[in-house]
Amino acid sequence: MKIDITEHNGAKVFSLSGDIDLYSSPALRKELIFFIGKKVPLLLVDFRDVSYIDSSGIATLVEGLRGMMSHGGKLKLFGIPERIVEIFAFSKLDKVFDICGSLDDAVKD
Amino acid sequence: MSAAMENAIEVTGLRTHYGQREILKGISISIPRGKTSVILGGSGCGKSTLLKHLIGLLRPTEGKIAINGRDIAAMDEEELNGVRRKMGVLFQGAALLNSLTVAENVALPIREHARLNESTVMIMVRMKLDLVGLSGFENFYPSQLSGGMKKRAGLARAIALDPELLFFDEPSAGLDPVTAAGLDDLILKLRNVFGMTIVVVTHELPSVFTIADYVIMLDAGEVIFSGILDDLRNSQNERVRMFLERRPETRTYSPDDYFRFIVGD
Repeated sequence: MKIDITEHNGAKVFSLSGDIDLYSSPALRKELIFFIGKKVPLLLVDFRDVSYIDSSGIATLVEGLRGMMSHGGKLKLFGIPERIVEIFAFSKLDKVFDICGSLDDAVKD
Repeated sequence: MSAAMENAIEVTGLRTHYGQREILKGISISIPRGKTSVILGGSGCGKSTLLKHLIGLLRPTEGKIAINGRDIAAMDEEELNGVRRKMGVLFQGAALLNSLTVAENVALPIREHARLNESTVMIMVRMKLDLVGLSGFENFYPSQLSGGMKKRAGLARAIALDPELLFFDEPSAGLDPVTAAGLDDLILKLRNVFGMTIVVVTHELPSVFTIADYVIMLDAGEVIFSGILDDLRNSQNERVRMFLERRPETRTYSPDDYFRFIVGD
């Protein structure tokens, strides 16, 4: 997995690519915890180039969501491939996360 | 994808013995990737022995067991452990560790194979427990659970690492029909959503007709059928028909054979 971190209209954008799995989740967690510590108001995760996510990846995002909520920030996911949306739905997390179609949708309140 | 890789498992000429007794008589089977395959057969036909070979618990006398193209029968323990990380197994009696809570049992393979933060592990554990309908039972011990709940806890542990290959040994054994149907439903979902390759050893016909994409039937250590459900229903093989129609076996001994048997010759 590769993480590119950029800014877009004041939001931090995590662009993830490749597999988010047991081996790469700890790196994602580290970055999320860093920006949660800085109390960023909006963190967007771009899934367009994610090929696979396992339970450790989903659990890491759940931790990220909890961390963002603790200071009143928002974490949104966008560009999730259909197959991965199904995994979120199966884990009943499609309603827990704010899932948007595109970056533009995600920056709108 | 090559034809070989369309099959997650290829078994060739598998022969195995318990002592002098031959259990599997040189069988060859293929398990298609991303499908649910059921290994069917009566008691003592060798199906549980076959399962133990597929997960690398037993070594064959002869033959190859290729998983993702690599023969596990020729692997050392370390290589085999690498393959096992991609496998989940629900054993017949669930095989939970009684001294650990349900959550600790489910966390066991995660802690064994990965270096994750404890809070990540616990979220994973709760997600898996919720999936099998055991939310809120994290701190229970196996002795405090019913048979069906133990099985579901065993399944949560089997899927803890999101395995590519998931094996079930008699999943419905000892369960009431409603719990058994719930387990079948979960097996279907795991295949559909995660594309897991699922292998179920059973003799429960209702379950076979609910979950199977592909059926392999064993009798006395030999494969007597392999194919899709429609072909199973239409099979004219006498042993297959006996099984499907639940006809009892009438074994006829000659008086001489019977005499030799009871005197122990």
